[in-house]
Amino acid sequence: MKFSDIKLAHKLENSILISILLIVYNLVFPVRSTLVLFLINEFLVFGVLYFLFNYMNIFVESKKEFPLSLILKVGVLSAVMFFISSFMNSFLRNNQQENFQTNIFNSLISILMNYVFIVVVIYILSTFRILFFLRQTKDRSTYFNTMIIFFCLTFFSDFSRINLSLDYAHDAFYVVSIVLICLNSLKVSWIAFLTKRQKTYLLFISIVLSVLFMVNYSLISESNSLRTSLNSFSSGFYSVYSLVMIYGIIYFGIIFFTTLFHLPTAEAFDRKSEEVSSLIDLTNLITQVFDFKELADSVTSITTKVCNSYAAWLVTKKGNDYELNSVKNIAYVDADKIVKNVIQNEKLLDNVYILNYDELKKDFNINSIDFRSIAIAPLKVHGEVKGFLFAARKHDVNFDEEEKRSIQAFAYYAAVALENAKLIAESIEKERLEKELDVARDIQRRILPNKIPSSQQLEISALFIPAFEVGGDYYDFFELDENKLGFVVADVSGKGITAAFIMAEIKGIFESLSKIFLKPSELLTNVNNVLKNSLDKKSFVTAVYGVIDKQNGILNFVRAGHPPVIYCSQNKVVRLLPSGLGLGLDYSLNYFQTLKEEQIQLKKGDIIVVYSDGIPEAKNANYEDFGYERFEKIIQRNCNKTLDEISNEIIKELTIFSKDNTQHDDITLVLFRWK
Amino acid sequence: MTDFNVNLRQVKNVSIIDLRGYLDAHTAPELENIFNKLLEQKKFRVVVNFNDLNYISSAGLGVFMAYIEIMRQNNGDIKFTNLKENVYNIFDLLGFPLLYEFYKDEQEAINKFITQENS
Repeated sequence: MKFSDIKLAHKLENSILISILLIVYNLVFPVRSTLVLFLINEFLVFGVLYFLFNYMNIFVESKKEFPLSLILKVGVLSAVMFFISSFMNSFLRNNQQENFQTNIFNSLISILMNYVFIVVVIYILSTFRILFFLRQTKDRSTYFNTMIIFFCLTFFSDFSRINLSLDYAHDAFYVVSIVLICLNSLKVSWIAFLTKRQKTYLLFISIVLSVLFMVNYSLISESNSLRTSLNSFSSGFYSVYSLVMIYGIIYFGIIFFTTLFHLPTAEAFDRKSEEVSSLIDLTNLITQVFDFKELADSVTSITTKVCNSYAAWLVTKKGNDYELNSVKNIAYVDADKIVKNVIQNEKLLDNVYILNYDELKKDFNINSIDFRSIAIAPLKVHGEVKGFLFAARKHDVNFDEEEKRSIQAFAYYAAVALENAKLIAESIEKERLEKELDVARDIQRRILPNKIPSSQQLEISALFIPAFEVGGDYYDFFELDENKLGFVVADVSGKGITAAFIMAEIKGIFESLSKIFLKPSELLTNVNNVLKNSLDKKSFVTAVYGVIDKQNGILNFVRAGHPPVIYCSQNKVVRLLPSGLGLGLDYSLNYFQTLKEEQIQLKKGDIIVVYSDGIPEAKNANYEDFGYERFEKIIQRNCNKTLDEISNEIIKELTIFSKDNTQHDDITLVLFRWK
Repeated sequence: MTDFNVNLRQVKNVSIIDLRGYLDAHTAPELENIFNKLLEQKKFRVVVNFNDLNYISSAGLGVFMAYIEIMRQNNGDIKFTNLKENVYNIFDLLGFPLLYEFYKDEQEAINKFITQENS
């Protein structure tokens, strides 16, 4: 049980307890002849009023979001009051002859009636309290509390009747209470927030209620048996009762007139609040919906609401063209037709443009469409037009300035939302591509050899630097037999995952064929034949494949479209460029003839450099190539160092040269030295 | 690097494509569009003038490889003219001159088409 529940339960207990006390007391002392008895009764009544009011406030508070239903309940209760009053009146009149207060049955009925009166009055009063505080921007509780205090004062000043000379105090409090009632009744700002339908309803109900309260008031203000009964029950309560009735009359009277004056603007107010809620909807969509199509659909559907239009559609710029993204209440073809006819108009670019029927017909040759006017709002992001939002009406009322402004505002929000969705889609796509690149890099890393073979006669160094986008470089070594070492450096055209897959395939082909075809030119011819089935027309592979005999130092190699092999012997550097067509360029039988195999007898200290075009084609800030000469000079200068040192020198100079430009391609550098 | 321009003109029944700037993976689709247009119009005799082309990447080379076969099947060809030295070297390294016809001058290539036609 929560604390508030305990409090609530206590309040209920208290009010029940004191109510029972009051009823029992009244049964015991139906006629209060002495002052003490009278005072005790008054205090008991006040206690019931107090505790009930406290309990009722919590009860009514929970329904404050529905002022109309509260008012309706007040209406029902006051109608009940009316019936009870009328019934009491006739009931009491009939029993007037007898001394009804001594009759136990009669007095019980009378007490219960009075008690019902108390409950109803308290309910109505707490409803008034809730309505008073509804939609107040400032804390005005003092006003209401002062009024309640004066109600109490009026209640207690009734004792003064005992001494007639104090009667003026009661009247004074009574009048002040009425003045305060008038003031408090003016706080009806909550009416403005009702919709038009609710206002019409309220207008009707308030006049009925005002009249009902008037009738109820007149029923007790006449000197009749009801008044006598109430007065004899508790004169203080009688005053409060009449005050609440007066409150009802004044309050509902004021509500009636206020609503009446609000009614003409009700529609505008409704529209504004609809716009606001649509914008809120849209703002929610911006943060929740990232799917472009879904968002576009929501925008068009909200547009019809905001602009009070029949149809709406939306186009966004795609290249130089416009693409229809979403339509609402119009066929794609029709919307497309209007867009195509209208979109070139430059008037559209700045502001919301309204096309009326004559213009549609005359200037744009759109005949078959039954729209009377079309509002076209540019979707601008950072001052750039990214598309257009169309809203079309079938009825004759043209879009007014106010509506133009709201369409503009809406288009602005929609543009931001759509742009947002687009950017998110792009970044997702980018992420996907990056993932793909990760996969490609991973493939490449697995394909390249993790161990470089070495022997007494041959020193080997291999280095690979991947580009951000996988470039498709591949190198490998094959132990063909005890003495023969095969090697390949290849470069697949294209980048990314496609290149990585071809690399993987090339590796497989070389692995399997290198042991079958020991002659390099034969091997490459067969590799070319196999590639025929897997390479697309646009792709090709360049490669250098060679076999070194570790026994006698004879190197045989072929070049298939690959950059030249650099040969450094006794401080002299030569480029070896035997003819040879790239793999995948031609699948005819001639391929074998294009390959010229080169044979070199390696001498002690000779260096062979095989690499990919990432080195000579590395570019500086001015897009100049690193070139072969620089490359060769570094080799020449450092030819006495270890291969790893030479390799480092080359990369160092390459890095300095291209420091202002990104690395576009993979770099592969394989060096051999005959010892 | 995205500075690239492609222009199409007609000399007799030979289509001349003028290339300018840098032909790489980003700009290659523009050239592809031109070739597609030529195929649509059934123009299979093409001379590509490289006079103002400064750079060609493997993606650029791929475009020619993709279309030359279909041109040749239709009694046409793609001939390459006016290549700068660095651009020619790229073709040469790959062995393109073994497969395709390269000329110093555009007119030479056009004449070649005409003599082919007459023979």
